[in-house]
Amino acid sequence: MSTTEERLAAQKRLKYEKAGLDAIDDRLGSSGFLQKALDKIFPDHWSFMVGEIAMYCFVVLLITGVYLALYYVPSASDIVYHPTPGHGYMPLAGQHMSEAYKSVLDITFNVRAGLIMRQMHHWAAVVFMAAIAFHLCRIFFTGAFRRPRETNWVIGLLLLLSVMLEGFSGYSLPDDLLSGTGLRVVFSIVESIPFIGSWLAFDLWGSAYPGSALIPRLFVVHEFLFPLAILGLLTVHLMIIWRQKHTDFPGPGKTETNIRGSRLWPQYAIKSGALLMVVSGVLAALGGLFQINPIWLYGPYNPFTVSAGAQPDWYVGWLDGSVRLWPHWEFRSFGHEIANPFFPGILVPGIVFTLMFAWPQIDRWIYKDHAAHNLLDRPRDKPFRTAVGVGALAFFTDLTLASGTDILGNDLHIPFERLIEILQYGVFVAPLVAGAIAYKACQALQRTGTHPIMKPVGGVLIRTADGAYHTLGDDHGGHDGNGHANGHDGNGHAVDGHAVDGHAVDGHAVDGDGSAHNPEEDITEPAVGGAGPGDA
Amino acid sequence: MTRTRKIVRRVLRGRGTGRRVLAGPAVVLALGVAAFAFMALTGGAARGADATVSTSPQDIAAGEQLYAAHCQSCHGVNGVGGTNGSPQLITAGAAAADFYISTGRMPLNNPHDQALRHHSYFDAAQTRQLVAYINALPQINHVAATGPGIPTVAPLCTSPGTPSGCVNLSDGERYFSLNCAQCHQAAGSGGMLSKGNVIPSLHNASLTQVAEAVRVGPMPMPVFGSGQLSNQQVSAIAQYVQYLHNPTNAGGLGISHFGPIAEGFVGIVLGFGILLLASRLIGNRG
Repeated sequence: MSTTEERLAAQKRLKYEKAGLDAIDDRLGSSGFLQKALDKIFPDHWSFMVGEIAMYCFVVLLITGVYLALYYVPSASDIVYHPTPGHGYMPLAGQHMSEAYKSVLDITFNVRAGLIMRQMHHWAAVVFMAAIAFHLCRIFFTGAFRRPRETNWVIGLLLLLSVMLEGFSGYSLPDDLLSGTGLRVVFSIVESIPFIGSWLAFDLWGSAYPGSALIPRLFVVHEFLFPLAILGLLTVHLMIIWRQKHTDFPGPGKTETNIRGSRLWPQYAIKSGALLMVVSGVLAALGGLFQINPIWLYGPYNPFTVSAGAQPDWYVGWLDGSVRLWPHWEFRSFGHEIANPFFPGILVPGIVFTLMFAWPQIDRWIYKDHAAHNLLDRPRDKPFRTAVGVGALAFFTDLTLASGTDILGNDLHIPFERLIEILQYGVFVAPLVAGAIAYKACQALQRTGTHPIMKPVGGVLIRTADGAYHTLGDDHGGHDGNGHANGHDGNGHAVDGHAVDGHAVDGHAVDGDGSAHNPEEDITEPAVGGAGPGDA
Repeated sequence: MTRTRKIVRRVLRGRGTGRRVLAGPAVVLALGVAAFAFMALTGGAARGADATVSTSPQDIAAGEQLYAAHCQSCHGVNGVGGTNGSPQLITAGAAAADFYISTGRMPLNNPHDQALRHHSYFDAAQTRQLVAYINALPQINHVAATGPGIPTVAPLCTSPGTPSGCVNLSDGERYFSLNCAQCHQAAGSGGMLSKGNVIPSLHNASLTQVAEAVRVGPMPMPVFGSGQLSNQQVSAIAQYVQYLHNPTNAGGLGISHFGPIAEGFVGIVLGFGILLLASRLIGNRG
């Protein structure tokens, strides 16, 4: 398999690793745990790394955030801006503004590397949410939330919520015209909660709108509360993954009780480290090349001014869209009016998140499947679940588009009222149509048994040197081809049966030395509480 | 002809705009034009040509020719207005004429469409002649002039050799965000109104055109009279809009200043897209 040199190099590396582990063990007595940790197996599918993109975005956010916090002044006190040419933004010279806004102008124009830090921070938040959304989709469509991983599904959703709120609080901190407008909307939505709304809004803001208490409070929320919540939840999220071990797609040599892939040290650590570098590189490039949130053009916030085209960041856009699309209905009962913003602003996200939190249970009812699973479903094998997911994405897309109605209408030359109507119908029609298409597509894919984009249908056509053609069968590599004959029934859980035993050792998990390590890490008991590494 | 004039005169008088009311503003306007001419001659003011209205009989006569060829079918003989909903132009004034013609909003195919910026249909000389003719319409119809004249925009205080009465960008930003950003967006990128009306981007509007639009209130836009915004304030707004054509673009490529929707698109498609490709490349290696 490997050359002599490779084998020698591997032995040398192993020697150094052992020396390192021994040195730590002498002091901490932890080599048992470390050895297990370093030998941990990570599956080799690229989509498993998207969650890590999110994690590394969080790392970039923490680092840039600390830098910004050094210069940000969380105060709503009024101040007059006195820039000097070359050190500040002259078109706002002499204007009244909050100290918070002034400090963000200073970060932008005076602080060394302040602007790129601010822009990296903001881009990282945008990409963070994108990665979380993608990760969520992967978990959903492959059924990775099924027993025993329901807890981690809930923790993941709590993470999603925390990051959303963290993002929104950060969007509100600069106290520019855009963020003030967003806070005004939120104030009204909080006020619309029946019975407690006006008290709650008054408590949160510390006074009538806008008041001066909110900016310092938001800073505490953005700086301590949610970052700590995210950090804590993320730790638990990872600890549970560590304990329950990864899921994996069915494939040759993969069973419900084993994991195939790369060991943490050295392969996976290198892969993951490479990803960290790419993530921070891409975020730095975005921060340096693309302007985001030019607060100096929006100007300081005054409650009596507003700009056209005011939208939240993309991940809050669907809530903004929900408010925009909701009809002007009013409900009055027992002498109380339920204010209109309550329905699109509180009820709609409330229902959406309840359904998301409850999905593992709903899924269990639908498929009457209470078994534990470590092998993933392929989306096509669960057409209904896939249809629900695609429908939810269509719903989300429709609402997000609604938050950009002013821009869309102008660009597409559709009158505003017509656009709103289209999107209002779209809330119901788009999920049904998209779901139906997804359902049919799943069924069609089940019949063909091929991967939609990865592999040519019917194998590879080869042309030989003397001009003859012949086809190579598609039995080489990949786990796509097999497991289809019995995948049609939509409940292919006994995935062990899919694995082709003859391929069991395909060199994935065996690295150069192959001596001290187990190529496959066994999951002894997949259920929560029973598994694995003891001395953590 | 004379009957029409009589009707128009009666209609206009019915509005209660007498000569007395106009005397003051007319004097101010005359003084302003005179002062402007003086400054233009002595090299003090910022811009020349389009801020004055020609009163020469040749220009008016040439303007009438152009009017008859391009405008009369809707706006009627001598600007009395049309039966298809086109407004009378007798009291439109020079600012309105200059704004609509120089921005290419007129001539318009269908009077019920919203007039939007196009390539100007007339060259500078023809525009001057048409404006001269429309400016002379009150005289031709024997009524009092009520429409605003072409405003003069005061220069920025930062420009070299600045005379007194200059304006600064900071005031412009303040008045712009108070009066204009609601519709035209904080960076002047434009937006949307109900009933299919478009709020134009301001990124092509000249100083004078902005000041004219403020005073005239073209189509869906409200009129901002001198009671709401002084000439100084209008000048500051016009100068700020001019600044917005090429604002301070710190931090790299400004994504059209459209705000979070465009930013989200770039972040997801470009930023996250590259990261997905990277994880695809890295992730599948065993």
